[in-house]
Amino acid sequence: MIEFKNVNYIHVNGIQALKEINLSIKPKTINALVGSNGTGKTTLARHINGLLKPTSGNVLVFGKNTKKISVASLSKRIGMVFQNSNHQLFADTVKNEILFGLNNFETDSQIKKNRFEWALNFFDLKKYENTSPLKLSGGEKKRLCIASVLAWNPEVLILDEPTVGQDQVQKEKMLKFISNLNKQGKTIIIISHDLEFLWPLKPNTIVMAKGRIKKTGKMTDIFSDDELLNQTCLMRPQLLDLWMKLNIKEEPPGDITKATDAIRRINGS
Amino acid sequence: MVVKMYWISKGFIFTKVDSFVHKLDPRVKLLISIQFFTLALLVSDLIDLAIIFIGIILLASISKILSRLIRTMLFALLFSGIILGINIIAGYSFIYSLQIALRFVAIVCSTSIFFLITSPDELEYVLRWFRIPNDLVFAFVTAVRFVPIILLDALQIIDAQKSRGLELERGNPITRIKNFVPILVPLIVNEVIRSGELAEAMESRCYGVVKKPTVLYELQLNINDKLAIPFCTSIFILGLLFSI
Repeated sequence: MIEFKNVNYIHVNGIQALKEINLSIKPKTINALVGSNGTGKTTLARHINGLLKPTSGNVLVFGKNTKKISVASLSKRIGMVFQNSNHQLFADTVKNEILFGLNNFETDSQIKKNRFEWALNFFDLKKYENTSPLKLSGGEKKRLCIASVLAWNPEVLILDEPTVGQDQVQKEKMLKFISNLNKQGKTIIIISHDLEFLWPLKPNTIVMAKGRIKKTGKMTDIFSDDELLNQTCLMRPQLLDLWMKLNIKEEPPGDITKATDAIRRINGS
Repeated sequence: MVVKMYWISKGFIFTKVDSFVHKLDPRVKLLISIQFFTLALLVSDLIDLAIIFIGIILLASISKILSRLIRTMLFALLFSGIILGINIIAGYSFIYSLQIALRFVAIVCSTSIFFLITSPDELEYVLRWFRIPNDLVFAFVTAVRFVPIILLDALQIIDAQKSRGLELERGNPITRIKNFVPILVPLIVNEVIRSGELAEAMESRCYGVVKKPTVLYELQLNINDKLAIPFCTSIFILGLLFSI
């Protein structure tokens, strides 16, 4: 579905941000791009919707080379939510903010209306329909940004640091909706440093360091590797850490309740 | 388009370079820039203007910023084309119109070269040396420091809106101008928020408690500066004599 073939990318300032990237992202999967700051995660994600074109190599999205397609036509199928909500909110009302993308991509007014209503309700924004986006809280702005992208129903959703500035309740809501979207058949790509947030999603994990992909695979496999953790300045998720310290062989669960049950079961109590 | 904007913008932003000119005292750099600026204002002959351009290019080469200055020149040339056109329409001769247009480019380059070889910190020291009130110095230097940051913000916003289907190059000229609304609104809002946060951060670090804060470094002319001043000034005087 999304394929990177020997991709190298050199910024206009001469810095090589991506080095020999070979990657394949399968449809209907949840993927996490992790790594320390400045390793090229966002740069890699921007290649997927064509905002950046490889200096050498090719990025194939739905079988088409991104060098030959416009950002607009790629964005119709690939939605990207940027880290800073204030970078994309501009309309006078929440309604117009959501309609911006829809107006660009969708012509059928009935579909537009349905999608708009869906986005408003799904993200619990109905009560703010006629409010200025700038008056919303940080969490609400984030939800609005995601709603305004999901409104046109892209097949792939890229979330850049979705948990920055979010409280625990918002994070849990986000977990649920990412899970729901994936169940609806969407491919999700999350860029995040928040491994505790990613852990319950059990994503296919892509670890990056210094512009290269160091390892891809299951979170359990990746974060069991101490050397890799040291190289990438990442910290093992707490549940996995506990599982390793208790030397439990079975697959670690996604949340604390299931973990407690598993430990009780193993202890026979 | 974004790459083009980034490319041109580099012609206006200071970057630290290890060169003889960069190491000069900022007051000397300002003097050189003013001398070029004055000559560009006074001369009217095309040959004189060409000599000024050679001088500016030489200075840029010694400063290792020629490629950046060329970007400034190209940007200024866009506007000078308009100046040339207006002058010709107004009935002035082609040669005279060309002189005016090129003079504009020379003025822009002589000003730009100062900002390309002077860091915001040095700029602050120069302004303080002129005994400009602290608040004004701070406001001006902060504005200069924020240019690259605002540019990066603009690039991020363009990317965010392009991802939502915005096509800046689509439509007739009026539509293209309207296409910039989704870029400008978040940019202005961001900068207003940032300036508020900056003001609070400054106040929480005791800004304004003393009328005249002390500085860590004092400007001092070294031997290179003392040699550069008479050298540049003598060339400037020669230029003045020629132009008169």
